[in-house]
Amino acid sequence: MTEIRHVLSAADPLRHELRPTEAERDRLRQRVVAAAAHLDSRPGRTRRPILVPMLVTSAVIAMIVATSSMWPRSSLAQAAVRFEVRLAEDQPAPGLRAVRVGSSDRTVYVHPEIVVTNDDIERSGVIAGNAPARFWIDVRLNAAGAEKMRQATANHLGKPVAILIDGDVVAVPTLKSPIGAAAVISGDFTRADAQRIAAGMIGAAP
Amino acid sequence: MNGLPIATALPATLPQSAAARLATLFDAHHERLYRLARRLVPTADDALDLVQETFLKAARAPGSIPSGFADEEAWLVRVLVNIQRDRWRKSLVRRRHDTETPASSGPASDTEAALVARAAVWTALDRLPPRRRAIIVMHELEGLTVNDVASVLGITAITVRWHLSRGRRDLARILEPYVGVTDDRD
Repeated sequence: MTEIRHVLSAADPLRHELRPTEAERDRLRQRVVAAAAHLDSRPGRTRRPILVPMLVTSAVIAMIVATSSMWPRSSLAQAAVRFEVRLAEDQPAPGLRAVRVGSSDRTVYVHPEIVVTNDDIERSGVIAGNAPARFWIDVRLNAAGAEKMRQATANHLGKPVAILIDGDVVAVPTLKSPIGAAAVISGDFTRADAQRIAAGMIGAAP
Repeated sequence: MNGLPIATALPATLPQSAAARLATLFDAHHERLYRLARRLVPTADDALDLVQETFLKAARAPGSIPSGFADEEAWLVRVLVNIQRDRWRKSLVRRRHDTETPASSGPASDTEAALVARAAVWTALDRLPPRRRAIIVMHELEGLTVNDVASVLGITAITVRWHLSRGRRDLARILEPYVGVTDDRD
């Protein structure tokens, strides 16, 4: 007679199947992080049932980016900020514009076409950052913006995408998967800075 | 500008926002949770869905997650098993109204005989209550001791032994016509 342990082991799906791909794992991770980011931005409303279907939708993808808080103070003081997302490259090529990333030594080469801008933002908000008194910005694109973002980023995987505020590149995440409706701009912002930027993103660009 | 280089803005240590905490939690525990989930549900997609729901529960209750790797893992495992228990109970309600219970798909490929045997094992496992199934999986497949299983699930060793005994007996009874198993003991 066969022991149960051996029977179970022989039938163990982990012995016969491939593990989830890296892309599947990344998508899962992004959904989880997006959910948490959303909760960060909605203190006191974390148990709303409506959150569940919203969280599991694959359209919501978080883009966790490491940004410096190299925002020019002058632009932060403005009531409105010009928000742009452009595809970028690490190497120069004809037609691309070299832009320095914040005050770092890194230079990226941005495409002339703007993927999304202020008009494509449905809402934006401030969420808790990764350290006390540091805050990130949660950006939600409208349907048209999300579609433009998906189409543009689907063929740009493994390459950088530049987030520009008032013409300055403030974040250059490398795309691991296509970006959809949601992005989290993580950085070292004070609450006041993050609030000004988030509020300034909505509406027409200055 | 405050002039911080990008590298210093990376969340390198002790992330405190829920998003960063969840990212860290996911990176540390998703593989272990997937292994367990896959052995508790019929398909790989179901397992991914179960893992996702587990982390979403964590996202909704960040204050409930203990600190420390082992305690985090135990907490997540308990959440995962409880979610599966809830789903199993709901599916039981549905099955009572079904004229035919859908067979578990089980893993594919291999010879027909092996498939039949595997499907039989899978169907037998599907009939076990989720907690019992989880105990069987953790003890028989993951190699955890009775005390380890008790610690992870937050129940007594006596309860674990009881579930093991019942689970083995149930499996032996269901599987005997197919693969001739015996209720082996420690």
